[in-house]
Amino acid sequence: MTKRFSDIVAVDDLTLDIEEHRFFALLGPSGCGKTTTLRMIGGFEEPTTGTIRLDGQDVTGLKPYRRLANTVFQSYALFPHLSIYENVAFGLRRTKVSDSEIKTRVGEMLDLVQLAGLEKRRSGQLSGGQQQRVALARALINHPKVLLLDEPLGALDLKLRKEMQIELKRIQTEVGITFVHVTHDQEEAMTMADTIAVMNEGRIEQLGSPTEIYERPRSRFVANFLGASNLMSVRVIDAEAGRVKMADGVELGVDPDALEASEGEILVGIRPEKIRLAMPGDSDLPRNSLEVVVTDASFIGVATQYLVRTSTGAELSAVAQNVGAHRYSPGDHVLATWEPGHTFAVHG
Amino acid sequence: MADVGHAVAQTRRMTARQWGLLIVGVVITVLGVTMITGSALSGLARLVIPIVLIGTGMAITVAAIRSRTRVAYWLLIPGGLWLIIFYVIPMTQLARTSLEEGTFQTGFEFAWRWDNFAEAFTTFGGQFFRSLLYGGVATIIAIAIGYPLAYFIAFRGGRYKNLLLVMVLMPFLVPFLLRTLAWKVILADDGFVVGVFQTLGLVEENGRLLATGIAVVAGITYNFLAFMTLPIYVSLEKIDHSLVEAANDLYASPMVAFRKVTWPLSRPGVVAGTLLTLIPAAGDYVNAQLLGTPQQFMIGNVIQSRFLVVLDYPVASALSLTLMVAVLLIIIPYVRATGTEELVA
Repeated sequence: MTKRFSDIVAVDDLTLDIEEHRFFALLGPSGCGKTTTLRMIGGFEEPTTGTIRLDGQDVTGLKPYRRLANTVFQSYALFPHLSIYENVAFGLRRTKVSDSEIKTRVGEMLDLVQLAGLEKRRSGQLSGGQQQRVALARALINHPKVLLLDEPLGALDLKLRKEMQIELKRIQTEVGITFVHVTHDQEEAMTMADTIAVMNEGRIEQLGSPTEIYERPRSRFVANFLGASNLMSVRVIDAEAGRVKMADGVELGVDPDALEASEGEILVGIRPEKIRLAMPGDSDLPRNSLEVVVTDASFIGVATQYLVRTSTGAELSAVAQNVGAHRYSPGDHVLATWEPGHTFAVHG
Repeated sequence: MADVGHAVAQTRRMTARQWGLLIVGVVITVLGVTMITGSALSGLARLVIPIVLIGTGMAITVAAIRSRTRVAYWLLIPGGLWLIIFYVIPMTQLARTSLEEGTFQTGFEFAWRWDNFAEAFTTFGGQFFRSLLYGGVATIIAIAIGYPLAYFIAFRGGRYKNLLLVMVLMPFLVPFLLRTLAWKVILADDGFVVGVFQTLGLVEENGRLLATGIAVVAGITYNFLAFMTLPIYVSLEKIDHSLVEAANDLYASPMVAFRKVTWPLSRPGVVAGTLLTLIPAAGDYVNAQLLGTPQQFMIGNVIQSRFLVVLDYPVASALSLTLMVAVLLIIIPYVRATGTEELVA
């Protein structure tokens, strides 16, 4: 589907298949079209072209109130004139559900989000975290086919956000409803989601499990948006054997699967924590090895962060866990080594 | 600073000293008030001395009640004095006059003459009823016109919002009298409106709109429309659009979302608009004077002529007070029933 706002293309020919009962995250920087995508699923925006199917049924032209999708809004959007009870019961009151059933279900829902006892309060009397839970309960009580969450944790402070991440994941596992979560926080997406779609400029850059996306980023954007990456430009010598050569002639090994039979000049990358600094002559060194000079070393407690310069002048960053290994100082001539299997190839 | 700290540390319980101050304050205030109504003083002193007494008395009273927030109460003094001079004193005078007897020629004297009220009500009951009727109908029509107008400006106005608001206020650049006179032209017997109404059969062949209740109600509605529209606009403007989206998301059709979310959240504006329209509308006399005949006269016309033409001050005062009480009696239950307080809380 595609969505244009006058001449701005917010979502560009996007195809997305979201599996049932999963926690799905749409991750991307602001303005990448993730919220627009979510709003199209919810029915608040209509796609300029394309279709949206929910549980096999075409819902493209359907108004939000006819869709079995519920939303947790970024600002929560709790009704200030209604009690917490009535807020949660709002959706059920619109359908033909008896008062006694509403009562049981609201009770169950408030138990699930740990807000029992606050039924009579107004939203203004609750803390941010509590409002967040009410918003969640209000949407979940309708047993939607899909629950849409629009940066729901954005307004919470760090500690509460961490708590709610675990809480959200627990609730999703408990109710088994498909969650589609929009966020710009990579850690949040990694913590909760089964599947992540990384979006940029209205397109999906990569779709996969958190591990897949982290270990095998397929584009420069993904490699840099999720964590840090050292990218090096190389020439493929033998794709099947996973051999590439750097500009200065040093040969590196790459997982052949990651290379995907590409040819010519490509970029390969390695995560800083995968690089091990060593002295020439050390035993058991990984196969990929570059002669480098340490330019900066900063000790941050759990680890030491190094900046090293290769003979071609490229700068790499490396992180060494604080496990008692030798600490290098700027000016040291060392080897930057890593396993070929940890190297990924960037195609876009 | 030390003083503030000390004051804050004080408990809510009033000390004996505060009770003493309170009594002194109340006594001085009451003294001031009684001097206005039945005073032996004359000339300027008759006005100045009671004002000073009331002002001092009230200042001492409030200071005694909550000495820890004294500063805030001192700040009330300018506004308080203004209210006393231009509201409390005239009201007391009015109440006093309403119980006087006599004629303009022989002079009026305070005599607890409650008959003034009986006379006012029996003689001018019709006008009373008409005032409330016209005022009420005009208020309802103003809601019917003002609400959609405010809704449109608030939610669909886009970048023309401010321009549209200015247009709502534009008629106020024209004096009240001229605005009302314009309706004489609009509703003229040989005018376009009457013509159309006659064609549609809404008005008889030789019937007219001018000099009827319709004309008066139309004039009142028009003159107070902005007072209805603006408060409603303000309360609608404040509504977060995501609330409406949330209602839609929770299976409420646009109609239901309006009924369950937008309308209740805009009710404070409707209440405020109703008060701002109904109160002056019920007391208005210009519209009935210019667009109606004595058959359409409202209580405002009677009060005006009693005060300025007949010079029957006591009955005029009794009429004014009765109108005030009547409007209050309508408004208090209305405000309570619409439950505006809980929205603010």
